[in-house]
Amino acid sequence: MKYLSEYRDGKVARALAARIRQRASRRWALMEVCGGQTHTIVKQGIDELLADSVEMIHGPGCPVCVTPLEQIDKALHLATRPDVVFTSFGDMLRVPGSECDLFQIRARGGDVRVVYSPLDALELARRHPDREIVFFAVGFETTAPANAMAVWQARELGVSNFSMLVSHVTVPPAMAVILESSDNRVQGFLAAGHVCTIMGWTEYEPIAQRYRVPIVVTGFEPVDILEGIYMTVCQLEEGRYEVENQYVRSVQREGNQPAQEVVGQVFQLVNRAWRGIGEIPSSGLGLRAEFSEWDAERKFALDDIRPSEPAECRAGEVLQGKIKPFECAEFGSGCTPERPLGAPMVSSEGACAAYYNYGRYRVGTTAEVKS
Amino acid sequence: MSAERIAAGGLICPTPLGTVDRVQLGHGSGGKLTAALLKEHFLPHFTDEHLAQLGDAAVVSVSKGEIAVSTDTFVVRPLEFPGGNIGSLAVHGTVNDLAMMGATPAYLSAGFVLEEGLPFDTLDRIVQEMARAARAARVRLITGDTKVVERGKADGVFVNTTGIGFLDPTLRPAPGRARSGDDVVVSGPIGRHGIAIMAAREGLAFDVELESDSAALHPLVERLRDAAGAEVHVLRDPTRGGMASALNEIAAASGVGVELEEWALPIPEPVAAACEMLGFDPLYVANEGILIAFVSPEGSSSAFDALRSHPLGAGASIIGRAVAKHPGLVVLKTGIGGSRVVDMLPGDQLPRIC
Amino acid sequence: MCLGIPGRIVDMRHHEGLPMGVVDFGGVRREVCLAYLDGQVDVGDYAIVHVGFAISKVDEVEARRTFEALREMSQLDELEWMKEVAEQSLEQMSEGGPA
Repeated sequence: MKYLSEYRDGKVARALAARIRQRASRRWALMEVCGGQTHTIVKQGIDELLADSVEMIHGPGCPVCVTPLEQIDKALHLATRPDVVFTSFGDMLRVPGSECDLFQIRARGGDVRVVYSPLDALELARRHPDREIVFFAVGFETTAPANAMAVWQARELGVSNFSMLVSHVTVPPAMAVILESSDNRVQGFLAAGHVCTIMGWTEYEPIAQRYRVPIVVTGFEPVDILEGIYMTVCQLEEGRYEVENQYVRSVQREGNQPAQEVVGQVFQLVNRAWRGIGEIPSSGLGLRAEFSEWDAERKFALDDIRPSEPAECRAGEVLQGKIKPFECAEFGSGCTPERPLGAPMVSSEGACAAYYNYGRYRVGTTAEVKS
Repeated sequence: MSAERIAAGGLICPTPLGTVDRVQLGHGSGGKLTAALLKEHFLPHFTDEHLAQLGDAAVVSVSKGEIAVSTDTFVVRPLEFPGGNIGSLAVHGTVNDLAMMGATPAYLSAGFVLEEGLPFDTLDRIVQEMARAARAARVRLITGDTKVVERGKADGVFVNTTGIGFLDPTLRPAPGRARSGDDVVVSGPIGRHGIAIMAAREGLAFDVELESDSAALHPLVERLRDAAGAEVHVLRDPTRGGMASALNEIAAASGVGVELEEWALPIPEPVAAACEMLGFDPLYVANEGILIAFVSPEGSSSAFDALRSHPLGAGASIIGRAVAKHPGLVVLKTGIGGSRVVDMLPGDQLPRIC
Repeated sequence: MCLGIPGRIVDMRHHEGLPMGVVDFGGVRREVCLAYLDGQVDVGDYAIVHVGFAISKVDEVEARRTFEALREMSQLDELEWMKEVAEQSLEQMSEGGPA
């Protein structure tokens, strides 16, 4: 596949890895923000390849994982309503709420459907005027334009049986929280390439300056990640702390302006609780008042939801990079993809899932297993 | 009064009024309608003397020794897909299970559960494909059964096939026979069946239609037997759960580790592209027309040549080896020099795949 | 949900006021909303697609330039490495060679 396969070129990747090893005069600690990047790193064994030069600390870049338990419980409640067709992206299905998950609700007869695009959910609403279609709008800034367009079109076309349960989060405030933390070890960041495709990188310039950390906007394929790491290590070795762009084929400094426009018209910045981290001010997106007709939280009575998180789940610490998945006592035993305690073990972008599925039961091993 | 109105009044009238173009409950009752169903929709396609007798059981003679018996039930959705339908799948699936034990398939039975309302056109296409597949595989359908259930109680058709095959002493592969040092060979490109099904379900379009690889594998197995015989330690067709599940099962049963080379995996571009889009890993996608063989180093190049000599094995590739370290674990060496464990999937990547 | 993959636009049209298109991803074709690249893309261009929406036009010139640089680097490194290996063997030979 063009513009994808080349970035998996083994020779180029190994050459980059060698350069990183040569360039690093000491072991640097970098954080990749996006869960998709975490998966590539673990799946390809990039962190093992660079073990002596770079420690990759995995960040909270999994929007499914950081969706607050309360929102999940609201989703589950809506999905049990007989008048509702509950739609979401595939990997929300097994995220555990306080009692169960969407998959189990479906098994019990709830109408839960996986869609590929929010426009598919809107289409469902038009085809079934007698049902209420609710879409679980979870994601970073990457997904906000798509969700915004679905609501916009709903208004344009006068579709009233469509609504969204919104749980959007934005990246820069989360990075600031991590950098402000007293036990922060992160010295450089790989910023999420698709988030920046929408937003550009202007928001990261003040962060780089204020906290004196290099930030490199990076793609998702092995060559992208290795090049991003190389550029970050070079900055660190040279004492620079700028925002640079590795993902030149997709990202420009100003991002996608039409997308930002529509997002700005449909959504507004709100305070958001991040599961496992707590509330971060102005870190989320919520529907504007003009679109409240399509806001599932206004449309349905969702007030007495009382979430309860299992005490053993350490997802929050994993999401902030404070521990690695295998450092959690429940990893692989009390918490597996079949019976997860928290979201990171079951989301396609979760760090725990990546470690479990690619066999990382201990640091630096793929072939030794704690069975 | 129409049949529907009688039925709505609470009576179920088994005698259809007017033209019958679909399966009705009466077709499963064992009486005249059942006989008509068999006569018009099944028997014309399966010309076997045992079947024609319509006895309670078929009687065949077998030589002394051991026979292999395998059964499988097919619930695939959709019923028809590029490259076949539930009928051909039902033949190939069971015939291949026999072939993976080294047996030459000889006889099949087939049990059908039909849903009331199934159009006869669809049934005819399924039965015709099944008959064609059986003829091409040189197996005879010698006995069968048909039931009909109410609308909504079956997805069109469910089929069970049971197969009987005859064993040859020179080829007795078994899941527990893999040995450290064996080469792991796959007979052809991976991921085609699962993606063809997914494409049919999701309405994914391809510029060149991707077909299921559903096929009978025993001609390929016969070549392996002739070329490498006892050096072939394990045979397995990676159906549900794909290559990853099959390899994990073999690794566990044999107590060996498996090392795979990512660059050697034969993954066709459309499969790779569809997997990217749907978030699947080709190693977990179902196959219905390829086999995995664990062959000793002494036999592996003859085995490889034997596979390549047959059209079904034209895309054969040596993808890795069995090793003594990390027994029970399958490890993939990635293109960039890293490695990762290929574990069993927890649940369904894709439900109702076969 | 960062899953965004590159594909080639093979058809463009409008549907209920929204610019839509068909994008080919290595042989698989899907319908994609092109609203966010309106006026910027044409049939034959490559775009990154996320949840059914094209979010950027692939800058093919930049992509080619940077990738060529990487490829050159890797070939240079391979030559360097081969040189090193050759020099090492020469050293060993002149010292009486390895066994």
